[in-house]
Amino acid sequence: MTAVRRIAGKLGGLLLTLFLASVLVFFSRFLVPGDPVAFLLRGRKPSAEAVAQITAQYGLDLPPWQQYLTWVGGLLHGDLGRSLQYRQDVTVVLGERLPVTLGLVVMAGTMIAIVGLTAGALAALSRGRVADRSILIGLTVLGAVPSFVGSIVLIAVFAVQLGWFPSFGSGDGFWDTLYHLVLPSIALAIVFVVLVGKVTRSSMIDQLDREHVEVAISRGIRRGTVVRRHVFRNAVGPILTVSGMLVAGLLVSSSIVEAAFGLAGIGSLLVQSVDRLDFPVVQAIVLLVVTAFVLVNAVIDVLEPWIDPRSAAGAGAR
Amino acid sequence: MIPTRRTARRSAVHRPAALAAAGLVGVLVLSACSPGEAEPDATTAPEWELTAQTAAPSGDIDSFTWVSYSEPYSLDYAYAFDYADNQVLANVCESLLRLNPDYTLSPGLAESFEHPSPETWVYTIREGVTFHDGTPLTAADVVTSMSRHLDPEVGSSWYSAYQNVAAIEQTGDRQVTVTMTRPDSQFNLAMGGSAGVVESAATLAQKGADYGNSTGLVNCTGPFELTAWKSGESVTLTRYDDYWDEALRARAGEVEVLFMTDPNARVNALKSGEVDGGWMLPPDAIAQLQGSGKGDVYFGLNTAVGSLIVSDLEGPLGDERVREALLLAMDRQGILDAAAQGYGEVTNALTTESVWVGASEAALDDAFDGLEEYPYDLEAAKKLIDDAGVAGEEIVIATAPLGNDFAVISQGAAAAAQAIGLKATIQTVSPSAYTALFSDPAARDGVDLFYTSWYLSSPDPLEMYGVLRTGEFSNYGGWSDPDFDALVDEAVAIDDPAQRSGITAQAQRIANEQLPWLPLFEGPTTVFLSDRVTGVAPSVAFLYYPWAATIGSR
Repeated sequence: MTAVRRIAGKLGGLLLTLFLASVLVFFSRFLVPGDPVAFLLRGRKPSAEAVAQITAQYGLDLPPWQQYLTWVGGLLHGDLGRSLQYRQDVTVVLGERLPVTLGLVVMAGTMIAIVGLTAGALAALSRGRVADRSILIGLTVLGAVPSFVGSIVLIAVFAVQLGWFPSFGSGDGFWDTLYHLVLPSIALAIVFVVLVGKVTRSSMIDQLDREHVEVAISRGIRRGTVVRRHVFRNAVGPILTVSGMLVAGLLVSSSIVEAAFGLAGIGSLLVQSVDRLDFPVVQAIVLLVVTAFVLVNAVIDVLEPWIDPRSAAGAGAR
Repeated sequence: MIPTRRTARRSAVHRPAALAAAGLVGVLVLSACSPGEAEPDATTAPEWELTAQTAAPSGDIDSFTWVSYSEPYSLDYAYAFDYADNQVLANVCESLLRLNPDYTLSPGLAESFEHPSPETWVYTIREGVTFHDGTPLTAADVVTSMSRHLDPEVGSSWYSAYQNVAAIEQTGDRQVTVTMTRPDSQFNLAMGGSAGVVESAATLAQKGADYGNSTGLVNCTGPFELTAWKSGESVTLTRYDDYWDEALRARAGEVEVLFMTDPNARVNALKSGEVDGGWMLPPDAIAQLQGSGKGDVYFGLNTAVGSLIVSDLEGPLGDERVREALLLAMDRQGILDAAAQGYGEVTNALTTESVWVGASEAALDDAFDGLEEYPYDLEAAKKLIDDAGVAGEEIVIATAPLGNDFAVISQGAAAAAQAIGLKATIQTVSPSAYTALFSDPAARDGVDLFYTSWYLSSPDPLEMYGVLRTGEFSNYGGWSDPDFDALVDEAVAIDDPAQRSGITAQAQRIANEQLPWLPLFEGPTTVFLSDRVTGVAPSVAFLYYPWAATIGSR
């Protein structure tokens, strides 16, 4: 019963968030200087009627609130408007690019999870020893490498020098795409691995110091079992919370990596569209990222009690 | 990256002193294969020469890859207005006339044209040509294709070529007649570019708003068919087996053109041998590419001149003496060396000799010899500033993060202005805001100067001087000289190229003296070919000529 109410409450909050986001996203475009029509002309000489026609075609002659209503009305029908730069439906433009970014984010996410969790767990379990310190130093060094620097180094070494990986493009077919996304995923994952690694470490150390862990060990339960059942399971909460944030971070950071590796994802599209005053595309991508962020966090909120029963039972258990 | 054709960077042509447009092709060095040489040392000018045509291919090739700095905005010929659009479209769609690598025009989809009266152009449409879907080319397709430029709903980028058109009609089985409101020699010259492209009328009707985008694609008559457009990444061109012109039958079965906006990524792809070639190399990468051992860099004909547009004649630059002083205070050779690694030549004219096709010897001499020189001379410049009494006044130079050349040129101009006692402010705007400078008067508000590399699409210098007439859309500073206007208008109405060139030369001299724009330098078109491929003609005509068709295996 409470679970249903919780979910319903979340859903309401979610819709409200999305509505506010849509208003913000749409009207912020009027704060950006520049006339989309002037941009559409790209320096060439138009006839006067042509300018009027183009303005009308893209609905730019309507008052802003009416443009907003048209836009939201379209959104509800799955129509995101028409891209000014590509002269194409935004849904088509996004549909062509989304798989690349999703592939990149999923692959980087997997790397982050595996490397970050392993590094964090190993460090926590060898707290204070050489292994712990080397992992911490390693993570700190990696954390100082911005994605674009990582991209340049990876391309220079593994694509240009060694020739092991392609330096650009997203490939064709499943395996080829996977192969093409290896270097970009690493470049994207680096910074986030550090975050997950450090949170995992501190969260697990926190648990290792708990009384129930000491009791469990003193009872002679095997260390591996204790770590799995007690330490890791209880440490998962903070890690999940951070992971929720990561989703938006990954989607946004992908623009840098996509540009460096010549990948046609929504990250590079966003940057390009902002620059070209292609508002329908910018609005759609921003709304998409906001939606993804809100949804992932909502799902984590809903899932958390099942993974970590204490958070559902209330703070008493702590 | 960026650019509209106006802001497009690194273009411009090297003009050997002896080169006269009349004998253009003959003078160009026919270098079959200029070997990658050691990196030029920083203190001497790089060694380079113009190549008219690279070695003929030893045979056909299954496929090759090419790199472009940007994705086309559209492959609808009505909007194909930039390097990225046209370098692809040139291989897929054909025009009534064909613009050759030496910038001459020859018959294309029109096997001939006549000019029975000053106001009419009659085109005879070639027989035996088919579109990529197999349907035959008809005069009706030509009428429909051309008429789109006049349709406000289309909003064609090439409207200016059609501004004097009164009617486009089919006047015979294979005949199309264009009637002008007044004599306009420039209309026919534009038919070698995108303004003259012919598309299937049925396809235009069927694709509607999606015509020319990544889902709608196109259906033209060129040596290659556009078979795939992977949005944001690449387009694929496939040889069209029923292509009408044996001489330009594609040597490659397939060409993949990749879009890579990042200059480093582009250079890496060429250096690592992953990509077979590309136009318009970043100047600072030329030495690296030459030393890469993966292929060769070639230099070819260009039509672009890098210049500073004076966009505010109300400010200090409204005084001719101040414009002259600023140009005298700029070390143009130094700027060229820093901005384009020395690949180019300082110029005093806004056109290159390459566009003076059909000009008379006398007109050429008149147009280029004995022009005002503006050598670097600070003292003379300061004196002019004193005479004009503008010392201490401010000018604003707009720039954008579009590349090393933009940074160097804006700083060079600012330094020159400071050196002669003006105050100079560099205003850095986003690339799109920079693009808007070329179409939106509001964007130019408060801006005195901005850089452009302005290329011409037709083999006639009038294309350049036409835009400097009073009230023209691209006369950004609102410069006005009645004598100049009268000369240009007179020239436009003259059909004979030699006779026309005489008048145009006088217009060029006026621009050279009054400096509505400050000419800086011209540089060559550059192209890289990997050691797998050869056969391309290095020339800025790659925007309209099916350059990829001639590339085969080395």
